[in-house]
Formats: sequence, structure tokens, C-alpha cells
Amino acid sequence: MQSKKGTAAFLLTLLLACIGLTGCSQWYYHLGETLSQHAVPQPDGDTTLKEVLAVFGPPHRLSADTNGYVFAWEYWRVREDAVGVNLSPFGLDFLSVDVARVATQGEFLLATFDAEHHLTAINLSTWNNRVGDGKALQPFGVYDVATTEDLVRGFGEVHTYGASMLRRLPTALNRESDLSSGANGIEQRATPHSMGQHSLEMR
Amino acid sequence: MKPTTLLKLCTLCALLLAGCAQYENRRGVEVAWSGSAEEFTVGKTTRHDVLKRLGPPSQVIALNDETVLYYLFERSQGNGLVLVVYNRMQIDTRYDRAIFFFDGNDVLTEFSSRAQDGNAK
Repeated sequence: MQSKKGTAAFLLTLLLACIGLTGCSQWYYHLGETLSQHAVPQPDGDTTLKEVLAVFGPPHRLSADTNGYVFAWEYWRVREDAVGVNLSPFGLDFLSVDVARVATQGEFLLATFDAEHHLTAINLSTWNNRVGDGKALQPFGVYDVATTEDLVRGFGEVHTYGASMLRRLPTALNRESDLSSGANGIEQRATPHSMGQHSLEMR
Repeated sequence: MKPTTLLKLCTLCALLLAGCAQYENRRGVEVAWSGSAEEFTVGKTTRHDVLKRLGPPSQVIALNDETVLYYLFERSQGNGLVLVVYNRMQIDTRYDRAIFFFDGNDVLTEFSSRAQDGNAK
């Protein structure tokens, strides 16, 4: 009889532990290809954009500047370890214990070219470090103690290139059309922003 | 069913309940430029040819008389193991890119592409 009670208590404890330990997770992210496996060309005056592209391929980010182009390539490995213990099975549903850590390993290659496509500068930087570390004892586990969102998101600015052309001008730039200026007319209450005097604000 | 048996079953389920997850995300201009590099010739191919073959680019950049068309396709694939006490997820993101330079007459002066298999052209 005593043995059965002991077994039941053990099973119950195990079951509660299983239910409580539901937040242990590991996330791994790999973005892009390693860069350091290639020899980095040197800006000796003769190295061309074509030669650099032949080694690394087209860049992940690019921009024109006043004298030429800026190209960037990157490679990221992100690891997120998190342990969360929810104590609700033990009657403490207002408490959550969370521990998390984020580590990254990365490479970033930046190269500049003049208007004639000659390599003018290049640098490869690498890193391997911890970028986030958090511990929390909080009610209901409301907040994440470490996040990787900003590290693993894509190249949104490239994909939204066309849409960015249609963004509204900041209201501040068009402040002279603000009705509160007292110099741009009046408008009746509840007039939609898309018409009337407010439409001049472009907000 | 005896309470102890029920408890045993529940514990067993909690220990063995496992799931798996798959994840895929594609963003950008999905263009099958792999194998199409031979179609483009420096000094001959025009901007019209490239646009006709690959479609609208992800980004357009201009410097003086030169124009650059840039194509980016981003593909993330992941798989995960979802257990009761341990969860693991791995996501790999690869980027297909292509870049084309045109002179003031819209003629191709330089280009490069790299597909997911890592081959540069």
C-alpha cells in the first residue's frame, strides 16, 4: 500500500514537472554563406568590381554614394537558448521563471568602388560573442528576456524598395499646412483627413 | 480504470508526446536566373532584355549615367522538434542575388549572379 502511494506520488511529481517545464527551447539561425573561406582582394588600384563579384557574388546590401558604390556582404549564425518554467501546475500560476541567452557568430564584408568600378577599400570583420542575456521572475511570463528578432529579420528594405517611394512625407515637413498655424484656413469638426484643409498636411 | 493506471498513462503521454515542425518563408523576386547567365552578353544585352527575362528588380540604383538593377530572393527553411520538455528549431536562410550594370544607352556593361547552390556567374 505504501509502495503504491510512493509510486503515485512519483508519477504525479513527474507529470507536473513535465507540464511545468514547457518552455525549454533552442533556436538556431543560419543566414547566408561564410565569407572568410575566400581570399579578400586588395585595393591595389587594379582590382575591379568584376573580380570582387566573381569571388563573393552580388552583395546583400548596396548603395550608390557620391563617388561610386558601397557593397556589403554578411553571414550570421544566431543561437538562442531559453529555459522557462511555469509554476502553475504547482498552484503558483502567477509566477514564471525565465532564463535566456543569445549568442552570435558573424562576418561582414564592406567594399567601396569608384565610379569606374575600381576597388577603393575593403574590410572583412568577424565576431563571435554573446549579445543577449536575461533572467526573469515575472507574473505569467509576459515579457521575453532575450530576443533575436532584429538579428534574424530579412532584408526588408530591399523588398520594400518600391513601396518606400510612396511613403508619406513627415507631417513636420509640411507644417505650414497645419490648421493650428492660424494661416491656412479653418475646417469643420469631424472632417475626414483625406479631404479639406487637413489633406494639405499630408498626414 | 484505476487512478494509478490513469496517472501512469498521463505521465507516459507527457513524456512521449512529441511533434515536429517545418517552416518555409520566401521573400523577394523569385526569378529562375540559374542557367540564364549565358543569355546575357556584355555590350549587347539591353536593360529591356533583362527586365523581360527576369521581371521587375528588387532595387534600382543610379550613379551618374549608370543604372544598376539588383535582384534578391530570400528563402528561409526550418525544421523543429517539439517535445514536452525540450523544443528545438533550426532555420537556414539563403539568398539568391543578381546584379546588372547598364551604361547611359541601357546596354549591359557588367553583371553577376549567385544562385542557392553557391555558383557565381
